Amino acid sequence: MSEAQPLPGPLAGLRILELADETGQFCGKLLGDLGADVVKIEPPGGERNRHVGPFLDDIPHPERSLSFWYYNTSKRGITLSLETADGRRLFRRLAATSDVILETFPPGFPASLGLDYDSLSLQNPRVIMCSLTPFGQTGPWRDYLSSDLLHMAAGGEMASTGYDQADAPNAPPIAPGGGNAWHMGGHFACMAIMAALVYRTVAGQGQYIDTSIHEACALTTEAAIANYIYRGEVVRRQTGRHHAAGPTPRTQFQAKDGTYVCALVGGRLNPKYIGELADLLDSYGMAGDLRDPKYKDPAVIAANTSHIIDDLVANFIASLPAEEVYHAAQDRGFTWGVVRAPEALLDDAHLHDRGFWKEVEHPELGRSFVYPGEAAIYNGSPWRISRRAPLIGEHNIEIFGDELGLSRGELSILAENRVI
Amino acid sequence: MSRPRALENIRVVDFSWVRAGPWATRWLGALGAEIIKIEWPENERGRLPSTTTPHSLEVNLNTSGNFNDTNVNKKSLSLNVRSAKGLKIVKRLIAISDIVIENFSSRVLQKWGLGYQELCKVKPDIVYVSMSGYGHTGRHHHYTTFGPVAQAVSGLTYISGLPDKPPAGWGWSYMDDTGGMYGAMSALTGLYHRNMTGRGQHIDLSQMVASVPLNGPALLDFTVNGRGSRRAGYPPGNRAHWPGTPLVNNYRGPTVAPHNAYRTHPGEYNDWCVIVCHSDEEWQRLVQVMGGPAWASSPKFATAIGRLQHQQELDEQIEAWSMTLGKYELTQRCQAAGVRALPVQSAEDRVEHDPQLRHREMYLAMEHAALGLHKVQNAPFKLSETPASNHLPSPLIGQHTREIVESLLGFSHEELRVGFADGTFWPTNRKRFPYMEEMLQ
Repeated sequence: MSEAQPLPGPLAGLRILELADETGQFCGKLLGDLGADVVKIEPPGGERNRHVGPFLDDIPHPERSLSFWYYNTSKRGITLSLETADGRRLFRRLAATSDVILETFPPGFPASLGLDYDSLSLQNPRVIMCSLTPFGQTGPWRDYLSSDLLHMAAGGEMASTGYDQADAPNAPPIAPGGGNAWHMGGHFACMAIMAALVYRTVAGQGQYIDTSIHEACALTTEAAIANYIYRGEVVRRQTGRHHAAGPTPRTQFQAKDGTYVCALVGGRLNPKYIGELADLLDSYGMAGDLRDPKYKDPAVIAANTSHIIDDLVANFIASLPAEEVYHAAQDRGFTWGVVRAPEALLDDAHLHDRGFWKEVEHPELGRSFVYPGEAAIYNGSPWRISRRAPLIGEHNIEIFGDELGLSRGELSILAENRVI
Repeated sequence: MSRPRALENIRVVDFSWVRAGPWATRWLGALGAEIIKIEWPENERGRLPSTTTPHSLEVNLNTSGNFNDTNVNKKSLSLNVRSAKGLKIVKRLIAISDIVIENFSSRVLQKWGLGYQELCKVKPDIVYVSMSGYGHTGRHHHYTTFGPVAQAVSGLTYISGLPDKPPAGWGWSYMDDTGGMYGAMSALTGLYHRNMTGRGQHIDLSQMVASVPLNGPALLDFTVNGRGSRRAGYPPGNRAHWPGTPLVNNYRGPTVAPHNAYRTHPGEYNDWCVIVCHSDEEWQRLVQVMGGPAWASSPKFATAIGRLQHQQELDEQIEAWSMTLGKYELTQRCQAAGVRALPVQSAEDRVEHDPQLRHREMYLAMEHAALGLHKVQNAPFKLSETPASNHLPSPLIGQHTREIVESLLGFSHEELRVGFADGTFWPTNRKRFPYMEEMLQ
C-alpha cells in the first residue's frame, strides 16, 4: 500500500447537519465515522452534553468532557442560535446544500421556527430530515420527558434484567448502564437515514423520517415479545443470563482471580457435549466423573445437571484465571467468554490484530488519546474516525466565512448578537 | 398500496440463521428489499428448538413464534448449498442479486467456495456482509459467540448490576439484536457506496467487536484518565451514583438524585417505576406531585449534592409514596407536572397497556399459514415517502422454492422435480411438507 490518500469512507461526499443533544449525537457519530461530513450545530456557548462527565483529568470544562469527545468524533462544529432571525436565515442556507438533517428537538419546535421538513424541502427537495425523539412526533406520550433510565424501564430492558433471589434478595429490575437507549435509537435512526439515502440515489427525492427511541428500545429485547404473544409468558429476571419463564441453570462462574466467566452449559448437555467437556476439564485434570459411561444416557445427564454445572464446571473455572478459561474453552470450540471490565479490552490481542484502537489527535492539547474504533472492517471504503470532536464554534470561520461567504465583519456582528 | 419502497429492486441472498443475521435482513425486507433466505432443514438453528410455539400447536420447523417475528418480509429457498448442484444454483442467484449476508463462523462460506473472491467472480459489484462472532480478521476469528458471550467479553455485561454483586448483565441477547442493527447498517452503507461508485466490497463485521464501542465513555475514562470501571460503587445499579463511594460520572448521563427504580402499587413482580430529577427545579416539581410532604422540605434535599449524599433516605421516602400508586397513574401524574417518570414494562405491558405504542401501531396482527393470526413488531421509524412495513409473514421452510427456481432463475418445472428427487432442494430421507408436494404437482 502506498502512503497516498487513504480510501474515503462509504458516505464520503454527504453533508449532514446535526442538531442533536445526548439522544442523537451517537447517530451523527456513526454517520461521521462512516465518512460523511457531519456539521454539528450547537447553540452559542456549546451543547449541554459538554457538561457531562467524566472530564479530562477530572477538571470540568466544556472542552474536556470525555462523553462529548467520544460521541462527537468525525464532526465539524459551528455555533448558531436558531432562535434568532439571522440564525434561521443562515441555517436555511446550510440546509439548501445539505443531504441530511438530523434533529432531536421537542416535537413541534422546528415547525415553530419555520424549519420543519415541509419548508426546508421546498428549497431542497433532495434533503432527508430525520427527527429522532424519545417518543416520536405523535401520540399521548409525545411530549413526555425522558432519560436513559426511563427508556430502559418503559422499553422492557429492565423487566428482563436483574438477579436471582439467592444472589440479591428482592433486588429491583436493573437497567444496564452505558446510555444504551441512545444507542438503540441511534442504530435505528441511522438505518432509516441510510435507507432514505439509498432510495434517493434511485428516485432523486428526499423525505421526512420520524424515529422513536421508545419504540427502538421496545424492539430490543430479543424474544420477550414473542414469548408473550405466542405463549402468554411473562419472563423472570436471572443473574447474568437470559430472562426465562422458569428458572434455568446459572451461566456465570467466578474464576480464581475473582473475575467471572460466562459459560453457556445448561440446555446444551448431551452425550457429545459431555465428551467435549470432559476433554476440556481433563486437560487440567479436573474431569471428575465425566468419563463415566453412565453419561452416554441422556436421562442420567439430565438427573446430574446440577452436579455437572454447579460442581464440575464451577470448580474447574474456580481453579483458573478467567482469561485462561476463556481461551482454553474457545480453542476447543466452547462458546464461553470472560466477563471483562471495559478496560481489560485494551489488552485484547484480537482487537489489536484488527487495528481496532485509534490514536486520535487533540492538537490544541498537544496530545493524542486512544479511542475505540469501528464495528466492521470495510475493504473498499473504510469506516474510521477522521478527527476528534470539534471545539465550540471551531469551524465557524471555515463554514460561515469560507463556504457561505460571510465577511469577518459580519461574523463579528453575529457573535456580538449571540447568533453564532 | 402502491407506495414505493426504499429498497425497491434490491435482492439479498440471505444465508443467515438464529437471530443476529435474520434480525438484520428482517429490516432490509421491511424497507422493500427482496430477501431470499437460503435454508436447509438439517442445519436449522433458528426454527428449532422452539420455545415460542403456541401450546396448541405441534413444534416443527414452521411453528416457532420467535422465528416468525424475526423473519417476516422474507422468502425461503430450501437448497443444499453443500452439494455441487446446489452451489451452482446459488451462484446463479447471487449473479442477479445485490447483497450477500451471512452470520456463520468465519471460514464457512470460504469452505463452501463462496468466499469474497469467488462472489466477485459471480457478481463483481456484490456487497458482501459477513457477521461472524469475532470477524474474519484477527487471531481469534475462529472463536464463536452467542449474544451473552459477546456481551461478556466486550465489557457490556460488567457495566450492568449492583455494586458488590455479580454482574446482572443483560437479560437477553442484546448483541443479537444490536448485531442485527450493524448488519443492516453495513448492508445499507455498502449499498449506498455501490450506487454512488459502482463498486461493491466485503464488510467484515464482528458481533464481539461491535459491542466494544458501546462502552465509549468508560473506555475513554480509562485511556485518558486511567480510571477503570473496576472500582468501588460501580456499576451503581439504577442510580447515577452509589452512596458512600467517590463522586464520579457513571457514563449514563448526569450524576443526579433521585435516579432509581421504585416499587409501585400493588407491589407485584413488575410493579415498578423509575423517577429521575435532572435539576433542583424538577425535584421541586416532584415534591409537589408527592403532595409536599414535610420530609421533602428538609434542606438536606434542597441541593443536588445534598440529594446525592442522602440518597438512601431520599429513595426510601420516595418509595413509601410510590407504593401508594399504580405505575401508570404515577407516570401520568409525574409527567403532567414535568417530572421524568415511566413504568417498568413487561412484554405484556408493552403489547397490551402502553398507550404510546398502541397509538404508534407498534404491534399489528398478521396471518401466518401455520401459526394463525398474531401480532408482529413494527418499525420504530416512519419514512414519509417509503414507509417500512411488514408485508410478508415469515416463510414456511422452502415455501418459495418453486417461485425462485422457476420464475426467477428460469429452471423448468421438470428440473425442480429432479432437484427434489436428488436431494438438492430437500433431503431425500425427510418427509416433505404438504405445500412442497403441491409445488411439485
